[in-house]
Amino acid sequence: SMAAWDLSVKVEDLGPDAPPVTISVASDLHVGGVILKLVEKTQMQRNWSDHALWWDQKQRWLLRTAWTLEKYGIHADARLLFMPQHKPLKLGLPSGKTVMLKACFSNPVFQTVMGICRMLNIRHPEELSLLRPVEEKKKKKDKDLTEEIYDLTEVPLSSGTPTTFSRPCLYNGMPAHFADSEQMEGVYKMLSVTQPPPAPEVIAKQYRPASVVDKSHIHGRWLDSSRCLMQQGIQENDRLWLRFKYYSFYDIEPKYDVVRLTQLYEQARWAILLEDIDCTEEEMMLFGALQYHINKVALSEPQMMSSNAALDDLESALQSLEVKMEGDSSSASDLLENMTAPELNDYLKIFRPKRLTLKGYKQYWFKFQDTSISYFKSKEESIGEPIQQINLKGCEVAPDVNVAAQKFLIRLLIPAPEGMNEVYLRCENEQQYAQWMAGCRLASKGKSLADSSFQSEIQSIRSFLAMQKTNSGSSNNSAASDESINTHSLVSPRYHKKYKPKQLTPRILDAYQNVAQLSLTDALMRFLQIWQALPDFGLSYVVVRFKGSRKDEVLGIAPNRLIRIDLGVGDVVKTWRYNNMKQWNVNWDIKQMAIEFEGNVNIAFGCVTADCKIVHEFIGGYIFMSTRSREKSDTLNEELFHKLTGGHEAL
Amino acid sequence: MDDIDAMFSDLLGEMDLLTQSLGQETEPPEPLPSTRQEINFSVGFTGLNASLHDLEDNDLDALMADLVADLSETEKKLEAEIQGLNAPPSSSSDLPPPPKGLGVQPASSITSPPSPGNNRSSSVTTPSSSTSSPLPPPQSSKPTMEEIEAQMKADKIKLALEKLKEAKVKKLVVKVVMNDGSSKTLMVDERQTVREVLDNLFEKTHCDCNVDWSLCETNHELQLERTFEDHENLVEPLLAWTRDSENKVLFQERKDKFEVFKNPQNFYLWKKDKKTLKDMKDKDKELLVQENFCGTSIIVPDLEGVLHLKEDGKKSWKQRLFQLRASGIYYVPKGKTKSSRDLICFVQFDNVNVYYGKDVKNRYKAPTDFCFVLKHPQIQKESQYIKYLCCDDAWTMNLWVTGIRIAKYGASLHENFKTAERKAAVSAAVWTNRSTPSSSSPSTPSPTIRAKTATQANGHAPKPQPGPPHQFHAADLNMSSWWKSSINSLHRSPPSLASKPPLSNFPPPPLSMDGLPPPPPPPPMDNFSEDPPNINKSLPPPPPNPEFLPPPPPDPVFVASGAPPPPPPPPPPAAVSAPRPAAQQKKMPPAPPKRTTPTLQGGGGGGGDFMSELMSAMRKR
Repeated sequence: SMAAWDLSVKVEDLGPDAPPVTISVASDLHVGGVILKLVEKTQMQRNWSDHALWWDQKQRWLLRTAWTLEKYGIHADARLLFMPQHKPLKLGLPSGKTVMLKACFSNPVFQTVMGICRMLNIRHPEELSLLRPVEEKKKKKDKDLTEEIYDLTEVPLSSGTPTTFSRPCLYNGMPAHFADSEQMEGVYKMLSVTQPPPAPEVIAKQYRPASVVDKSHIHGRWLDSSRCLMQQGIQENDRLWLRFKYYSFYDIEPKYDVVRLTQLYEQARWAILLEDIDCTEEEMMLFGALQYHINKVALSEPQMMSSNAALDDLESALQSLEVKMEGDSSSASDLLENMTAPELNDYLKIFRPKRLTLKGYKQYWFKFQDTSISYFKSKEESIGEPIQQINLKGCEVAPDVNVAAQKFLIRLLIPAPEGMNEVYLRCENEQQYAQWMAGCRLASKGKSLADSSFQSEIQSIRSFLAMQKTNSGSSNNSAASDESINTHSLVSPRYHKKYKPKQLTPRILDAYQNVAQLSLTDALMRFLQIWQALPDFGLSYVVVRFKGSRKDEVLGIAPNRLIRIDLGVGDVVKTWRYNNMKQWNVNWDIKQMAIEFEGNVNIAFGCVTADCKIVHEFIGGYIFMSTRSREKSDTLNEELFHKLTGGHEAL
Repeated sequence: MDDIDAMFSDLLGEMDLLTQSLGQETEPPEPLPSTRQEINFSVGFTGLNASLHDLEDNDLDALMADLVADLSETEKKLEAEIQGLNAPPSSSSDLPPPPKGLGVQPASSITSPPSPGNNRSSSVTTPSSSTSSPLPPPQSSKPTMEEIEAQMKADKIKLALEKLKEAKVKKLVVKVVMNDGSSKTLMVDERQTVREVLDNLFEKTHCDCNVDWSLCETNHELQLERTFEDHENLVEPLLAWTRDSENKVLFQERKDKFEVFKNPQNFYLWKKDKKTLKDMKDKDKELLVQENFCGTSIIVPDLEGVLHLKEDGKKSWKQRLFQLRASGIYYVPKGKTKSSRDLICFVQFDNVNVYYGKDVKNRYKAPTDFCFVLKHPQIQKESQYIKYLCCDDAWTMNLWVTGIRIAKYGASLHENFKTAERKAAVSAAVWTNRSTPSSSSPSTPSPTIRAKTATQANGHAPKPQPGPPHQFHAADLNMSSWWKSSINSLHRSPPSLASKPPLSNFPPPPLSMDGLPPPPPPPPMDNFSEDPPNINKSLPPPPPNPEFLPPPPPDPVFVASGAPPPPPPPPPPAAVSAPRPAAQQKKMPPAPPKRTTPTLQGGGGGGGDFMSELMSAMRKR
């Protein structure tokens, strides 16, 4: 009945140079009919199910196939493109590795991220999002280096468990699509195992924000989660970063969160290494020690993570039962085995710096037993009463070692009612030092030499000594194997300038003693905890102009509050908590946000370094995060998220 | 009296053994100050004798009941352990001739009667086991094999004995000064936590058991004071006291102990004005506790300020800008910014405790009397290693001390609070049920033997334990109902997004959300039903509201006291393993335990003194 007219559609599958396909349509033809005609006209045999029409002028997809051309308002002048909704995308992961996968270009980015996380096996995708990468400073010689790209484009689009994220089905410890081939297993390993410490030059090469303003520019790069990739100018094969955006990590369950935990650790590690978040020197050394430990444990038990995940409930139940039974049956003999109370006996030199004697180091026969050391004039007299016995429980132990100079000193600070007594023990060689140092460290924590950790303590002291040795020839510093990590790989570039690797070694070792016994998962969790306890944790910055103010200021957005930072001083001048928030409004025309808090507190600001949609989304997103509760963690209330973050797109 | 004496001679032997481990610590001939020279058997007395004479009659009875109960318990434990070792220390004859190493073997004296049914698993002499033995050694050809085995076994037995001796427990007689100035005497064993001792004192005193009751230590010489944390073991810090010290243990109500859980805003939002802090709603307080204590990481209050520092060993005081972090206290060096990387570490918390300092203006010419002190718990006398910090007012001092405790003890503090709350609730219930409190605590609860709590944290905030899900209900309820309400109101008055000013507008939450849910929680559907049923005409469907509401807490009694705790533990039962004779009446000494095992011969350790004094004290009656 309606007049027929010609509609030209460019079909991507025909190639970039092919002319548009023209079909005859009427305005009451629905989109599904258009697609059918197009497909017939091309005469190509393929699966078209993922294809849809993209209207270039209006920058929108025509996804409602039942709508007519008239309803969409499409006329003969419309530039239409017929193409797949899923396209390859290069995705930079928090670990710095890149995967190539097919992402959805037609749904809101929020759903695209859900799909990506499903494929990568990351639970709680609402905490992540995509952002445009910071361009790396490319040097000429780097151009030759082609980075390794892990290809996931062959994964069927429907892979992964839909909607429920709590208990993904695992095969061999991996989601099904990773268990298909060896190559895919390799990808999963990359995702789920922490990367070795990066070479110091690699750290130095990365972009480091120097100020809070620099950091705020990074946050201007987040994509809008209510709009699709196509609408945001993202092209096929473009590169984007996948990052944790909301610092509110819900319900971390190491068994199911192998990839999530690993990538979260990687993001935290890089935040520390690139000084995206500030910490003190002591904290940096502890982070360094944890990285060293995590790398070491990950190397020694690489199967741990995956097999951990591999265990389904039955398996793990069986295993723990086994352990329990083992424990029960052998406890008595274990007890006996442990009772060969070990001791150390050797000639060492002792010095007490605080005593006003001019005597230097004096040699005695030393005996280390339980948590005490005693010394005697000589080995022969060691059957009798010792000259002195020192209980090391609660004391402080510090190393003073220079391998090149063959100096192996143990500095002890021993508490007593009158204060602390300083005692130095001098060892002859590495071997002796490692043993006595390990003993002192355990004893300071009230553990005897019989403790199971004694041997591993010796081992770690020795490997740190080895590091000092290899680092003394400082030039060879590519990221390295277990025994010879360059300590510059573990700290931010600031400390590369401040300390030589061999100066860092004892400091990191010192921090290491508190974490050396942690399992891989515990060490990862500890790293995250210390990160989360930093004062600036969870802050995303935006430069804003407060209403009535003449200068730029910085708004910090945290999981539970907003803060106002004076750029001149760098001080937090004001804090507002979300739970006191009554309402917030966005005026999209003048790009201004207005927030009302309880007690008649009103603030309004315009956003300088980020679109105000980004700020709006951050605030709404955090409020969404706080509504999650354990009972409903199985399903993601997408609609609520959209409502809280969507702005005018939401309705 | 003869009965008592007979019982005592029995007891004495046992006690000797029990306390042996104390006396056995080797004393160096030229004692280092760092070496523990003497072990105190009593704390808070001029001497042991005084401590015993000081005991009230019923206390002495109670103490005896404790001792007897502990003995039988220890005995049972030993017995069990020995049987578990599969190597009964009996000298029965199916063993190859005991090698020389066995000469020491006092094992038969330990307690356990030789158990005849106990087969030695590796013994080659029993035919039954030789069949299963994978490698039956030809006995004639290799006699040494057997000897080696026997020797090994003997060594193991010897070691097992050593281990058992080690397993014995240190005990202290502690005099606790009550808040009315009177005192009570308690026997405390080294495994007991402060919480357990408090519970013990609750039974003895009929106090109201509120959460503020605390044990404090004072250091007389240094004029310091600190509240023990409930999860700490009591004996350990007391052992650091010097023999002649006039330190005291006080039983007091300390408001500051758990104030951070009652009014978290005063610590976490201390920069806000006084009125805001005072008017803080309960739901906001709960949210603060949840944010800072129930997440993956414990968050330390954000403290920063100028404090006066007494310089190491000097008499002068110097001002510095200090900052508290989870990893320690830092200060800003002269001429530097406050940026984290420039901060200098002043102290980390692994090896120090925090104390309140008294009378510092007088003693050290301090600028104010609001002083807190950081020192190693072993330090008991004036030393340059003690760090004194002065604040401008009492509140600031309180802020810092609490902040340091959070950084040092982390999640344990919150656990302690929840336990104390449960205890208070149970006691309150018991009180209302009790007709007359005149029965004057019929039985002295003996220390419940418990493994050291895993929550004992030292240093940085320890790993949080993933709490049971219901732990979060109260706070969740608040947060979600808040959102529910604003979203509901959103539906009632849809923002005119289609109209000109494109605003997304979230109307305020209704004011009805103030305050805690009342003890019996409102039926969950109440709030929901406020919604007009026809709201989703023009809007997408509302969020599934019913899901926002967690199921009502299991036990309404606890709702009022914050996050609903798990059901209360039953009131401390009489020890599970060992039925202990209750000291029923004043004049009735505890019945001597039925003993089938040979009694011990006194080992002559350091316990001798103690026991004879104890005995003479008993005789005196």
